[in-house]
Amino acid sequence: MPETLSPAARTPESTVPPQTFWSRVRSRVFRPWMVKFCAGYIALVCLIAIFVPFLATGKPYTCIIPAHHGVPMRREFPLFRDLTSVSWVLLVVAAALAAQTGYGILTRRLPPDLRRRRRRIWLAMVTVAAVIASVLIVTLHHNQLDATNYRSLAAHGEITHAVFAPIPWGYAAMEPLGKNLINKLPSQRHWLGTDGDGRDVLSRLLWSTRVAMGIGFISQFIALAIGVMVGAMTGYFSGIVDILFMRLVEIVESIPSFFLILTFVAIYGRHIFYIMVILGVTGWTGYARLLRAEFLHLRQLDYVTAAEAAGLPLWRVLFRHILPNGVTPVLVSASFGLAGAVTIESSLSYLGVGVRPPTPSWGEMLNAAGNPATVFHWWQALGPGMMLFITVLAFNIVGESFRDTLDPRNVNAG
Amino acid sequence: MTSYIIRRLLLMVPTLLGMTFMLFAIVRFAPGLREAGQANAVQGMMQSKQAQKQEQLLVAERLHLVDKNGHPISLPMQYVLWLKSTCEGHLGTSLEYPEPVLKLIEQRLPVTLTINLISMIVIYLVAVPGGLLAALYRDRLFDRGYGFISLALYSLPAIWVGSSLLGFFANPEFFNWFPAAGLHSTNTESMDFFQYIGDYFYHITLPIVCSTYAGFAFLSKQVRGSILENLGQDYIRTARAKGVKGSTVMVRHVFRNSLLTLITLTGMSLPGLLGGSVIVEQIFSINGMGRLAYTATLARDLPVIQTVALIGSVLTLLSYLAVDICYAMADPRVSYA
Repeated sequence: MPETLSPAARTPESTVPPQTFWSRVRSRVFRPWMVKFCAGYIALVCLIAIFVPFLATGKPYTCIIPAHHGVPMRREFPLFRDLTSVSWVLLVVAAALAAQTGYGILTRRLPPDLRRRRRRIWLAMVTVAAVIASVLIVTLHHNQLDATNYRSLAAHGEITHAVFAPIPWGYAAMEPLGKNLINKLPSQRHWLGTDGDGRDVLSRLLWSTRVAMGIGFISQFIALAIGVMVGAMTGYFSGIVDILFMRLVEIVESIPSFFLILTFVAIYGRHIFYIMVILGVTGWTGYARLLRAEFLHLRQLDYVTAAEAAGLPLWRVLFRHILPNGVTPVLVSASFGLAGAVTIESSLSYLGVGVRPPTPSWGEMLNAAGNPATVFHWWQALGPGMMLFITVLAFNIVGESFRDTLDPRNVNAG
Repeated sequence: MTSYIIRRLLLMVPTLLGMTFMLFAIVRFAPGLREAGQANAVQGMMQSKQAQKQEQLLVAERLHLVDKNGHPISLPMQYVLWLKSTCEGHLGTSLEYPEPVLKLIEQRLPVTLTINLISMIVIYLVAVPGGLLAALYRDRLFDRGYGFISLALYSLPAIWVGSSLLGFFANPEFFNWFPAAGLHSTNTESMDFFQYIGDYFYHITLPIVCSTYAGFAFLSKQVRGSILENLGQDYIRTARAKGVKGSTVMVRHVFRNSLLTLITLTGMSLPGLLGGSVIVEQIFSINGMGRLAYTATLARDLPVIQTVALIGSVLTLLSYLAVDICYAMADPRVSYA
C-alpha cells in the first residue's frame, strides 16, 4: 500500500480538527447497531436502577386527604416521604451526571482547550456539591417505614385524587393471604404474575436492577482501584516490589475464586456492602496483570524519561503520564468483569448466600421460582432469567467490540 | 531449561507459603470460630454440659487452637502446627461428618472428574472445529454467526438454564424425559454393564448440557485468534510460494502452530476439572466436589474448607508450571535462558 497520499486526499483532512484517541475508538466501537443497542440497554437498566422508586411502588406520588373530624383537607406526597437515603443519594448522582453532560452540550462550540479547562472546573464543582449533598443525606435523613396500604385507602375513599406509580406494587408488598393470589400467572392486576409470597414479580424484577448494577459497578470500581495501584507499582518499579506483588497476584489467582467468595460470604455475612467488597478484593488480579504489562512497556519511552527529568513527583509520572496511555485494555476487561460480577452476584443469591431478603435479586427470584423438580413456576423464572441474560450479554458485546477495535491484529479491518 | 525449572520451583515456595497463610487467616479470623465445636447441634442437646465442653475442647485441639492441656496456642504457632500436620498428610477430620477429609474427597472426586472430563471432551469437539472454521471464513456469515451464538451461550446464566432444564424436562407437569436428581437409578445392581452405562448417561445428560454450553465461546475465540495470527506469518507465505498444497499448509503449518495455544488453554483448565461447579452440582443434586465445598462453607466445616481450597490452589500453581514447561518443550522458538 503506498504510504504517500495525493494532495487531493490530504487537504480535507487538514481542515478537520485532530481527533483524540478516545473519540476515534468510541466512534469505531459503537458503529455496529448491535453495540449501540447494547449500550442503550445498559443505560436503560442504570436509569431503572436509579428511578425505580418512582416506577414500582405502592405509594402514590400525591394524594388528598379529605377533611374529617375538623381537620382541614390537605395534600400529601407519600412517595417522596418514603424515599430511602440510598434512593436520594442515587438521585443526587443522577443529577450530577446530568449536570456534567448538560454542561458539555452547552459548551460544545467553545475552542477545545478552553472547553476542556472549563469542563474540568465544572466537574470539580459538581463533584464537591454531590459529595456534600450525599453526606448530608446520609447523616440527616431517617428512613421511615410507612406501612400504610394506600391502595385500599383509595378504594375506600379515605384518600382522593391519588396518583399511583405505573406499577403500583412495592417489592415487598404482599397480596393478602386469604385472596388466593399467590403463585398466580400474569394477569391484568400483576403483569408478570405473583410469587410464592404474593408479591408482584415485575416490581421485584425492576428493583433487582439496583442490586445487580450496584454490586457490578462498585465491586469492579474497587477491583480497578486495587488493580491499578498494584499494576502501576509492579510495572514501574521492577525488582523486589515486582517479585513481591506478583507473588500476591499469584496467591489470589491460585485460590478458586467462586469458592473463596462463597467462603467469605458464608463466614463474614451477607450484607450487600460485604459482597461488593469481596467481589472487588478477589477480582483485581487480571487488571493488575494487564496494567503491569502496559507499564513495563511504557516506562521505557522517551516521554516518561522527559517527565522524570523535569522533576515531576512520582504519582504525577505514574498516574498522569503513564496511566492514561495504558489504561485502555484494563477498561476493556472491566466490561467483562462487570458481566462476571453480575453473574456471580446472581449465583450467590441463587444459592441463598446473596443479599438478604426481602431485597430482591434476580438470582434469588430464580431460586424462588420453586423447587423445579416438583413445581416450576416458569413465569417467575422467565423475567429474571431474561434480564440476567440480556444484561450480561450486553456488557460482553460492548467489551468484545472494544477489544476487536483495540486489537492491533485488526487494524486494517476497521 | 533445567535452571528455568529450578527458578520457577523456587519462586513457588513463597507463593505456596503466602497462600497457605491466607487460607489460614481467612478461616482463623472468621467470627464464631470458637463455637465451631457446637457444629453438631442435635448431638449437643443430647449431651450434658460436661460432655459438651469435652467435645468442644477436642475440636479446638484438632484445629490447633489449644494444646493437650487445654491452654490456648498463639496464632503464629497455630499456623506452624497446621502447616506441619498438613505437610505430613494429616488434613484433619470433618466437623460435619465423622470421617477424615481425605476420605470425603476420595468419595466425591470421581463423580466430579467424570462429569468434567465428558464436558471438556464435548467442548473441545465443538469449539476447536468451530474456531478453525471461523478463522477460515473470517468476517463471513459463519464467523459472525458462530461468534455471536457462542457469546450469547457464554452469557446465558447457568442458574437460569439449569433450573429451566430441570423445570421443563424433568418435571411431570411438562416433559418428564430426564431424571431430576442423582447419577444412578435405584436398581443398578440388576443391570448389566451396558445398561449401567446407558443409565449413567441418561442421568448426566442435563448436567452435561448445563456445564458445556458456556465453554464454547472462550476456546473457539482463542483458536480462531491463534489461527489468524499464524495465517499472517511469513513462513506461511513462504510455504505457499514454494508450492505446498493448501491443505498441507493448513494442517502442517497453521494448525500445528496453533496447537501451542491449545496446550496453554488445556493446562490452565486442568485444575478446574477437579473443582466442580457448585451451581450445576447443587441444581442437579450431584454429590461432587462443588457440593462438598458448598455444604462445608455453609456448615463452617473448617477442615473441609481449608483442604478443598488448598488442593485447588496447589493444583493451579502446579498446572501453571506444567504449562510453561510443556510450552518450552513443544515450541523450539521459546527460550528461557
